[in-house]
Amino acid sequence: MLDLLTTLNAWLVAPLTDYAFMRRALVGGLALSLAAPPLGVFLMLRGMSLVGDAMAHAVLPGVALGFVLAGFSLPAMSLGGLVAGLLVAGLAGSVSRMTGHREDSAMASFYLISLALGVMLVSLRGSSVDLTHVLFGSILAIDDTALWLIASVASATLMVMALIFRVLVVECLDPLFLRGQGIRGGLVHGVFLGLMVLNLTAGFQTLGTLMAVGLMMLPATTARFWSQRLEGLIGLAILIAMVSSTGGLLVSYHLGLPSGPCIILVAGIAYLASALCGRHGSLLARVRRRATPLETDENACTPS
Amino acid sequence: MSRLSLEALTLAQGGRTVLENISGTFEDGAITALVGANGAGKSTLIQAIMGLLPPLSGKVDCDVPKERRAWLPQQLALDLTFPMSVEELMLSGCWPTHGTFKRYGPTDYRHMHTIMQRLGLSGLAHRPLGELSGGQRQRALLGRTLMQEAELLLLDEPFANVDTHTVEILCDTLHEMASAGATVIVVLHDMEQLAQLADCVLLLAGGHGQWVEPETLLERHHAPTRRHAHAPFLSLNLPDVPPCSTY
Repeated sequence: MLDLLTTLNAWLVAPLTDYAFMRRALVGGLALSLAAPPLGVFLMLRGMSLVGDAMAHAVLPGVALGFVLAGFSLPAMSLGGLVAGLLVAGLAGSVSRMTGHREDSAMASFYLISLALGVMLVSLRGSSVDLTHVLFGSILAIDDTALWLIASVASATLMVMALIFRVLVVECLDPLFLRGQGIRGGLVHGVFLGLMVLNLTAGFQTLGTLMAVGLMMLPATTARFWSQRLEGLIGLAILIAMVSSTGGLLVSYHLGLPSGPCIILVAGIAYLASALCGRHGSLLARVRRRATPLETDENACTPS
Repeated sequence: MSRLSLEALTLAQGGRTVLENISGTFEDGAITALVGANGAGKSTLIQAIMGLLPPLSGKVDCDVPKERRAWLPQQLALDLTFPMSVEELMLSGCWPTHGTFKRYGPTDYRHMHTIMQRLGLSGLAHRPLGELSGGQRQRALLGRTLMQEAELLLLDEPFANVDTHTVEILCDTLHEMASAGATVIVVLHDMEQLAQLADCVLLLAGGHGQWVEPETLLERHHAPTRRHAHAPFLSLNLPDVPPCSTY
């Protein structure tokens, strides 16, 4: 018994008590896990799951430019990422409105240009080790400045989400209703995309630019297998993200692997397990599906 | 009395003129049927009345405040996979009074339950929209407009894919709303429903509009070859029909 406790302590607690960088990484991961998954839930429900991915790529040239200009400086790289992300989101939205093309095709075009630009910038100045850090994150990169940045972004995201929650929900279901009420859906959409870019920027130190979107989307898509209510989806997604961040960090520490891919892979395992045996729509749920008994209330006898 | 009129309205969609020089007045408390073949511009006109499509020329003169204008879109326009319950959908109709921040209070819930009972939706408050039948969904959407206390109601083919029970409830509710003074405009394809509902008809064809009495249209539709009452309006020639008094 004591052996078991000692092993558990060595695996789960000691890395956090022994090393300050692990504690900072954990706090950063948990803060990101609070803010990013609700955004992911709305992205998923709006059929924009891959837009998050595109934006994660779009952030890269800004991060790279910050890196080229100021070296491995987190504020410079974050600011660069934020500007690049907002620029690509704004350009894609404008081109889509001006040409009438769908926004996803405009975004795909811009993120590809952006990604190529970013990789080229990094290779101009840095070594492949730097590129790996930018792309896949490094828990060692989380200093107090980074932690402040992540915590501020997470707090701001939660507050803004609470403010625009009702508008977002109504806009997802019936955008025309809102337009009829004189609310500009484009503005809500813009604020939402802005929050997404902010979170991707905040997440790249721990997870890397390409992996940051994973903590947004995977918990959301996993929660879809367990809940059919919006509040349930958001709550579960946050929980899954927190468990994945903690688990992923510990795995990354013990096996000496980059933190970003570890966290995302733990979330990925949760997704695969849920797709197999989740409550709603999983493989197992489909096999087990039984016909529900006939309803007796008056509404049940009104066929469409 | 009238709070909605069109003055020489010309509308275009995607660079193509869809409706030209439409004028007329929608009376308060009257149900106007918007009739025309597919592509005649019915939905375009609805968008312009809702203020969502700026006119090419002419204008829509509407005294009803924006928040009291309700549009019941075709069901296909809604994302039914979104995890929202009947209750949440109906409460979103409180938007004009509650906006983004105000909490829903007991009065709102009581009001909602009365409306649900009237629309035959009792017991379905927590049912997700995706699990409703087409008829139940249409009634829930109408419930939202009742919560909104709409004074101008535009309905785009509200009777498509719904059961007869729903058609009855919808017709009764629309009559009640019109009696209370609301202006109701409804896109219709079915002669029987037109006979049941409409006080006046705005006929759209070939980019032009003409106001006619429902009886005139019904007579013309049935003669000389007796067509089935549910047959849609496929081709309509405007000049043969005598104009309606409201024009």
